[in-house]
Amino acid sequence: MLKYIIKRILITIPVLVGVVFLIFVMLSVVPGDPLTVMMGEKVKVDVIERLSKTMHLNDPWYVQFAWYLWNALHGDFGTSYKLMRSVSSVIANAFPKTLMLAVTAAALSWVIGIPAGVISAVKKNSIIDHLFMGFALCGVSLPAFSVGMFLQNIFNGILPVSGFASPMHLILPALVLGWNAAGTIARLTRSSLLEVLEDDYIRTARAKGLAPVPVIVKHALKNSLLPVITMMAIQISSLLSGAVITETLFSIPGIGRLAVDAINGRDMPLLQGTVIFTTTVIIVGNLIADILYCVVDPRIRVEGGK
Amino acid sequence: MKKYVSLLLAGAMTAGMLSGCGSAFEDSTSTTGAAADATKAAQTETSPGAAGEETSAAKEGAAAGRNVIRIPEKKEFPTVDCQKNTEFYVVPLNIYDRLVECEVVDGVATIVPGLAKKWDISEDGLVYTFHLRDDVKFHNGSDFTADDVVYTIERMMDPDTSALNTDFFSMIKGANDMLNGQADHVEGAVAVDDYTVELTLDVPFGPFLANLATPSCSIYDRESTEAAGDQFGIDPAVTVGTGPFKMESWVLNDKITLVRNDDYFKGPAKVDGVELIQVPDENTQKLMYENGELDIVDLSSSTSQLAYFMGNDKYKDNLVTGPEAGNYFYAFNQSIKPMDDVRVRKAISMAIDRQTILDQMYNGAGHVVNSMLPDGVLGSYEAQEIPYDPEGAKALLAEAGYGDGCDLEIYQKTTDAADALAMNQVVQSMLSQVGINVTIKQMDEAAFLAERKEGNIGMTRAVWWADFNDPDNFLYTFFTEKNAKARSINHTNTDVFQWLEDARAMVDEEERMALYQKIDTTMVQEEVAVLPLYQMDHVVVVQDWIKDFHIPWNGWTDTSYYTVSIER
Repeated sequence: MLKYIIKRILITIPVLVGVVFLIFVMLSVVPGDPLTVMMGEKVKVDVIERLSKTMHLNDPWYVQFAWYLWNALHGDFGTSYKLMRSVSSVIANAFPKTLMLAVTAAALSWVIGIPAGVISAVKKNSIIDHLFMGFALCGVSLPAFSVGMFLQNIFNGILPVSGFASPMHLILPALVLGWNAAGTIARLTRSSLLEVLEDDYIRTARAKGLAPVPVIVKHALKNSLLPVITMMAIQISSLLSGAVITETLFSIPGIGRLAVDAINGRDMPLLQGTVIFTTTVIIVGNLIADILYCVVDPRIRVEGGK
Repeated sequence: MKKYVSLLLAGAMTAGMLSGCGSAFEDSTSTTGAAADATKAAQTETSPGAAGEETSAAKEGAAAGRNVIRIPEKKEFPTVDCQKNTEFYVVPLNIYDRLVECEVVDGVATIVPGLAKKWDISEDGLVYTFHLRDDVKFHNGSDFTADDVVYTIERMMDPDTSALNTDFFSMIKGANDMLNGQADHVEGAVAVDDYTVELTLDVPFGPFLANLATPSCSIYDRESTEAAGDQFGIDPAVTVGTGPFKMESWVLNDKITLVRNDDYFKGPAKVDGVELIQVPDENTQKLMYENGELDIVDLSSSTSQLAYFMGNDKYKDNLVTGPEAGNYFYAFNQSIKPMDDVRVRKAISMAIDRQTILDQMYNGAGHVVNSMLPDGVLGSYEAQEIPYDPEGAKALLAEAGYGDGCDLEIYQKTTDAADALAMNQVVQSMLSQVGINVTIKQMDEAAFLAERKEGNIGMTRAVWWADFNDPDNFLYTFFTEKNAKARSINHTNTDVFQWLEDARAMVDEEERMALYQKIDTTMVQEEVAVLPLYQMDHVVVVQDWIKDFHIPWNGWTDTSYYTVSIER
């Protein structure tokens, strides 16, 4: 098991270098440089020419790539052109906010999604089932900006609609993200549980005279959760890489907004920093999910041990 | 049973995480030591625990505790060091002062004393002697002296500073030598004594005084700014000016807090402070305004909300308007066909009904212009009207050999305000009436700017607001050879190139203005390098309790809040 984890961690290094490389190549193809963006309408050719030289913006991309790797290996992820601060400090400042939002949204989606899925499966084709699945479908299909603006308009004056000053400020953005995630989880839980409920051992358990609730919770649900856990892992890693639209709508200073601003500003150090960071988060998230499988499903543990 | 236990555990973990993150919230409000304490004190004052009362508590708190003006900002500032940024001037305008300032006096934008109480200009227009106030202190308590002025100029021209606004001081003798690394000092900037500073220019520069009134020429304190190094403009604790407000804290992508400078040399400001809150979404700005969480919202920059506020009777007493010292215009690129032919450019101009666009799209909040020099800016004049004449346009196109029509591309940025695309579409349909087939090309901002700098962007709508009150700020910016390329205009009128340089060095004000008028007429009426569209009224919505808010002389969004007061 330990060997497996170490191997997985070592594999992240070439992945990260590859991601950094790809971004250098991609941004070297599209036109635009940070100085020109920074100056906007006040474009002054002389100043741009002079500063491009001192900032090494004219170097070929592979030279910039090499320098970036060299500095990154020494723990220096550079200074953001756009925000003029060290990339690590900017990310360290933004991540806690994204983390809190992601955790709240994920928790919300589990608390709502799993019970809703279970009830829907048990009361299959009832009004409750249709109602829950209708809500789930809305959550999955409505885009974040429309849900966000809808909630903002309804709750304006009751709940804070912008900023990040208190836990209350988390409620609406977490609802926007959580509703979407909960929809997926509820639908998945329902279908997965329905499949399991058809299995022979459930019929056996019922035949033995076990009460319905323990049958569902103890026998069926546990066995139907594997795909749901996979989905949770995917969801939480994507939530942790920042939710651009939700963060913009609710003025939350998180990772998503940083990344988009970095692309728009051709801010290579900041973009690389956010990408390296979110890639790491996703890799670690997947690793944790893999470990969780082993915990939930002994069959995987046995195979992994071989 | 195990299931319930694990659910409970999960719940507890979430709660733990949230409470752990409580410290993240606290962190988010503390940046500098003293500032953090102040904010924390304010927090305990304003949040009485019950979370449900949060918003109303915040509202009341701002009212009862501190008289603070809350303003939304759509983009985060890179730095408030205005030598290193060309766009974000609201903080510089409130925490620094300049030698002279530009203010509206009796309806006319005028250069008034700032840190300099008076000044003399030599006969030949080369030597400016400023007599400085002796009662000014920087926020850190140190005295403002002539040496600080010299320091400010030399800091801008020091290549190590990597300043973006060097052109505001580059006319001073020896300034470019320092920028090029050939000198340690700017020869023409001399502190004669503690309160007299003498600036000598290479050649006369008519707009020099107006130029010194721009935010970029704000005066810094030598001692603390040198010590602050690259943290100046970023760390509130070391960002020091002489202005009516001091920087208290800066939470990146969240909020900048300014507090009143009680020792301000013109007397303290009327409010306790200013909060610049990041609210990138315009609809969210509207909601927060309606909820009483924002005091002043600039509708001319949040254009998507303009119609809502202007069309709502409830807000008619809350709107503050004033002319913008700036023009919207279409720029034609003369190196792209069919715009290389002046007859085509003229035809396009004649086929666009500017008055209708203004009335239909902007509730008529402005007026159509026929010159690059907007009203209210020095040198503006009554220009000949550019007619709306689709039939004449067709004739001109036929004469140019495009009787069967032609293709034209209009460029814009994806990040442009919503009205840019709407307007381009209106123009697209107007031009189709005369046989011009328009394609609208949208590009991402960075790519657009990079291509435009190389002179490759086709017809595009642009706007320019005055940095300083002089025609040079408009005409030099667009029509010198380098700038014409950098703005994708690409005209080749060498007379105009020469006249622009000549005008800068003219000492006789009347002659200088006459030459600028000639340049403007040549470029707009004869060359048709651009099609001036309209000068807009700047529209801002303010809460009932905000008093004495005025649009600044240039109609900028960024303005000083020194004179604004709050009365509830």
